[in-house]
Amino acid sequence: MLLIHCPYCDETLPEAEFTYAGQAHIVRARTPSDQTDAEWEEFLFIRENVRGPHFERWRHFHGCGRYFNAVRDTVSDRFLTTYKAGEPRPDLSELEGRA
Amino acid sequence: MSRYRVPGKGRVDAARPVGFTFDGAAYHGLAGDTVASALLANGVHLMGRSFKYHRPRGPVSAGSEEPNALIGTRRGPGRFEPNTRATMQEVWEGLQTTSQNKYPSLRFDIGAVNDAAYMLFSAGFYYKTFKWPQSFWHKVYEPFIRAAAGLGVAPAEEDPDHYASRYLHCDLLIVGAGPAGLAAAVEAAGRGLSVAIVDENAEAGGTLLSEPQAVIDGQKAWDWLAQTLKHLKAAGVRVMTRTTAFGYYHQNMIGLVQKLTDHLAAPSADLPRERLWRVRARQVVLAQGALEKPLIFNGNDRPGVMLAGSAQTYLNRYGVRVGDEAVVVTSHDSAWYAAFDLADAGTRIKAIVDTREKVSEDLLSAARLRGIETRLSHSVTATGGRLRLAHVTVNEVDCGQVREGQRIYCDCLLMSGGWTPSLHLFSHTKGSLQWDADLTTFLPKDTPEDCVIAGAGRGLWGIGAALNDGTEQARAALRALGVEGAGGVHAVDHDRSGSGTTMRELPTDRNPGRAKAFVDYQNDVTAKDLRLAVREGMRSIEHVKRYTTNGMATDQGKMSNINGLNIAADALGKPQPEVGLTTFRPPYTPTSFGAFAGYHRGDHFEVVRKTQIDPWAEEHGAVFENVAQWRRARYFPKPGEDMDAAVRRECAAVRASVGIFDASTLGKIEVVGPDAVEFMNRMYTNPWTKLAPGRCRYGLLLGDDGFIRDDGVIGRLSQDRFHVTTTTGGAARVMNMMEDYLQTEWPDLNVWLTSTTEEWSTVALNGPDAATLLQPFVEGVDLTEDAFPHMSCIECTVAGLPARLFRISFTGEVGFEVNVPAPYGRQLWETLWQAGQRHDICAYGTETMHVLRAEKGYIIVGQDTDGTVTPYDAGMGWAVGKKKPDFVGMRGLARPDLTAEGRKQLVGLLTKDGSKLEEGAQIVFDPDQPIPMKMVGHVTSSYDIGTTERPIALALIEGGHDRMGETVHIPMPDRTIAATITGTVFVDPENARLKIRGESA
Amino acid sequence: MKTITSLTPAMLADSAAVRVESLGPQGRISLRARGDLSALNGALGLDLPTRIGHRASTEGMEALCLGPDEWVLVLAHDRVDAMLAALGAVYDDHPHSATSISGREVSLLIDGPRAAELLAIACPRDIATIAEGAGRRTVFDGASVVIWHDAPGRFRMDVWNSFASFVAQTLITGARELAAEPVEGG
Repeated sequence: MLLIHCPYCDETLPEAEFTYAGQAHIVRARTPSDQTDAEWEEFLFIRENVRGPHFERWRHFHGCGRYFNAVRDTVSDRFLTTYKAGEPRPDLSELEGRA
Repeated sequence: MSRYRVPGKGRVDAARPVGFTFDGAAYHGLAGDTVASALLANGVHLMGRSFKYHRPRGPVSAGSEEPNALIGTRRGPGRFEPNTRATMQEVWEGLQTTSQNKYPSLRFDIGAVNDAAYMLFSAGFYYKTFKWPQSFWHKVYEPFIRAAAGLGVAPAEEDPDHYASRYLHCDLLIVGAGPAGLAAAVEAAGRGLSVAIVDENAEAGGTLLSEPQAVIDGQKAWDWLAQTLKHLKAAGVRVMTRTTAFGYYHQNMIGLVQKLTDHLAAPSADLPRERLWRVRARQVVLAQGALEKPLIFNGNDRPGVMLAGSAQTYLNRYGVRVGDEAVVVTSHDSAWYAAFDLADAGTRIKAIVDTREKVSEDLLSAARLRGIETRLSHSVTATGGRLRLAHVTVNEVDCGQVREGQRIYCDCLLMSGGWTPSLHLFSHTKGSLQWDADLTTFLPKDTPEDCVIAGAGRGLWGIGAALNDGTEQARAALRALGVEGAGGVHAVDHDRSGSGTTMRELPTDRNPGRAKAFVDYQNDVTAKDLRLAVREGMRSIEHVKRYTTNGMATDQGKMSNINGLNIAADALGKPQPEVGLTTFRPPYTPTSFGAFAGYHRGDHFEVVRKTQIDPWAEEHGAVFENVAQWRRARYFPKPGEDMDAAVRRECAAVRASVGIFDASTLGKIEVVGPDAVEFMNRMYTNPWTKLAPGRCRYGLLLGDDGFIRDDGVIGRLSQDRFHVTTTTGGAARVMNMMEDYLQTEWPDLNVWLTSTTEEWSTVALNGPDAATLLQPFVEGVDLTEDAFPHMSCIECTVAGLPARLFRISFTGEVGFEVNVPAPYGRQLWETLWQAGQRHDICAYGTETMHVLRAEKGYIIVGQDTDGTVTPYDAGMGWAVGKKKPDFVGMRGLARPDLTAEGRKQLVGLLTKDGSKLEEGAQIVFDPDQPIPMKMVGHVTSSYDIGTTERPIALALIEGGHDRMGETVHIPMPDRTIAATITGTVFVDPENARLKIRGESA
Repeated sequence: MKTITSLTPAMLADSAAVRVESLGPQGRISLRARGDLSALNGALGLDLPTRIGHRASTEGMEALCLGPDEWVLVLAHDRVDAMLAALGAVYDDHPHSATSISGREVSLLIDGPRAAELLAIACPRDIATIAEGAGRRTVFDGASVVIWHDAPGRFRMDVWNSFASFVAQTLITGARELAAEPVEGG
């Protein structure tokens, strides 16, 4: 069981309080009807399968209820960082060495 | 006093004899004994038969690494456990134990013919033998393999014990309470940290229990131990014995199993048998020590052959001599000390056989002093004796030449191939290992976890080295916690550090192809098997392991892995580090299912959610079904009724007068805020802007892929407040999805969601008499078509309770859903139930609800849809707002494959012969086409117990909406059924029954 | 076991180790808001705590911050409507969501020298991180719960009605176990 830092509660807590919510930074277009079929397919279905740092979303389900973003190394299964929804992607080079 | 018990020795209590049985025979041990030590005290070495060859076996060790002495234990009715290590099970008055893998008896076993056929059962035997012909697979090979498989006998009765679990968060966890672990605990104690130290044994002490001769800081080892434990407990250190750290998981989570009652004759019924601890430690000290390696020679498994260190443990910890006349064979100094201890206790040591050319003069003179014959540069090449060792053959090895052997008669053979660190838990951390050529073993190197290794676990032999390393490593762990330790050095006298060499198979003058030199005792893997595996092409140690099953038994290769590696590396002609060690995985020792299940068994297996009205249903004989986590009343049978009869009666009652139904499980979400209507417009397909407060609308929720996710009736209570309902199973999912869009896509919207599923108990009344029944209880609104038409909602008072009243129908009859604060649900229900008696009110369950709604063509999401159905497929295009700029799923609905011709569409089916279709049955257009037929859809709902004259069904069929009146076919195993495609509404297509007839009373 | 409901408070377990009781009706409001909270604070008569897990109280009412825009207000059952009305009065100036959840949950009292250990049988969070006078939403045996740490060895647990019997059963079993076993580390 992993430990996850909730950026809203500012506490590091057991994974059992959280639920996984898929890849992060996939933006739903402001006007979906303007999207081409290819763009909509990309939005709906196309996901990374990263070996290494992966941008992903979690929800502090049994806690503050917030969705937030995380960078987790899929090799070490360690979280490099977590940050609030809406904040920009952190610079990976600055996170290296934290795994 | 038993014949082999040494008075005054050991930590057992001579004043407390304990009676127990083994294979029906009564024995006496002493309090503090294990089954193994007590049997050995009675001269019993034969404790089991091996798994494959059914060879007679006795204990080879004194600890949890024991591969041979596996027994069944019985602690009264239902309390049987197979494969318990006799070396770990403590004796208590009345314990019943049995040996395993024997038929008809331990002393005479028919399966031992396998041993005679040894040459046939070589590595890969099963792979090579049970191959051809294919027709033998099921009828011949499988029964044979099944009969032969299995270690011990699985218990047949339900386990009456209960199992517990607990989380523990601490600063420092120390695994192993031997000298290194104890020194680490002493270093950490009293510094304001939470510290726990665990040990799998019945008492703390580890090696100290077997080496009372040591003097630590001027105190005898056992006095030092007692004082140290007292000090640790006084300092608040949690000392947990009989507690195995079985797995090391991510981020310093360690799984422990604590055995609480297996050593007790009459434990409290409230005590759990075992407790699973999930420990999260900021720092971990692994002080698990080292395991002694057996030597590999022909006949090294005969009862009476035992690890020298274990014999020393039996003597010093339990006061038991393992025999009268012993031979010692070793490649390491430590066995010499065992020999000396036993000699001093009265066992005649007939020879110390050492494979080395030279040993220290100290050892030789100590042997001479005791009159023990020593043979350097010697090997053991054979053992003899039927059920117990009777003699060994000892050969001189001269410049690589094995000379003729000499037989020495003895009743036990003590062996030592040196020691290997216990790397199991460290290996669980994905820690890396480094090869130590001097010690010929792997040592722990780096680990990604916050953990340090202390003592023999990293190749430091001797009590002094372990103590001082324990202190030092604990200091490092403390530093990581930001605490400065005191350090210090323990002085140890009479320490027994030593050295040795590592052997593969012992040199022999025999044909090695015929030698029965066991590497893995439990899986009966010999050195010959390992070499054969390499000859047959296995190059990776992982393949050698799986082909031979070396190290794959329940002892996890504690004794066999390193010897197996040395032999495989030799056969491959590669150095060990290039061959590598196989991965150790949890659990460290076999762990009961009970411990993992914990509290979750029987009625408490998983969360079962119950409504406030559930007890009434139970009292009234409801039959329940599980819907998601909820249990719901499925139907209410009267005496003698089966489900069909009950549902037929319930359906008829709802259409004839009035039925009452517990709808509390429906998900409910309160959507509140100035942007509530905008949010609803974006989430649901339907338009909401023009829905007036006090009105309801059926809402359809899609995913952004365009497929139906959920549905429910939604009431607008005020301009900024919606009462959303969801399906029972979809409540949490819908809430999650709404929060997701709200928090991450539209954080600018001023609207909030609150789960109110459990705020309300919901009682549904349906039927032509529903309004008449309900009206007298309602304050604030007249239940008339004018004042409160279909699809209305209002906050009012019902039966004196604050209520949200909805006029909606999922049956096609006049329907109301009364929501009252949840705890009052039963009160409301009973009030309506009483009043309803004069209307022949009928309580109905989910099954009747399903039938009645199907008769009206109302879908159930998840039954009539399957995640690939659009509103148009379901014939519900009317629910899709055409003028909205966007909603979740709108763009998805325009995807090319969702607008293509020939999609499966929801239709009704009426069978031509009046038979009932099976839900899930596949549908074809042409029943005469060759197999495999083209399947064009399936039946989603089917009933013959409702209020229609003939069975009805709903189905998804390719292009179904354009095929009204056409015939399709449903092939079944015995016949093919023809059915006509119809619309989905079978009852009251004009919706006349939704109107309240006349004025309410 | 018997269904747990706030209408029939009951002693569920009672020993020297720990006592577990189900409590009677309690007024509760789920309050959701963001931005400047002063209008709401005025209506409530207390300053809403803005750190998750922190509590504030005024006579007869307590507020616990559960999320960045979420509080639960606990007050007498018969004061809920008046408080909702007071909040409603500032809605136009400061839009928010105030929803009664009085009927949604049951409170369990867990009180005794080993109360924290009892919680630790099924709560993966370190109970020690819920300081005295604080509270948290967390998970207990698979159910979302709110745990209030009221005094040394005294906790309240709010659990949704339908989960209450299951959660209570776990607590009863655990309390029995704690009563039967010798104290650890002693």
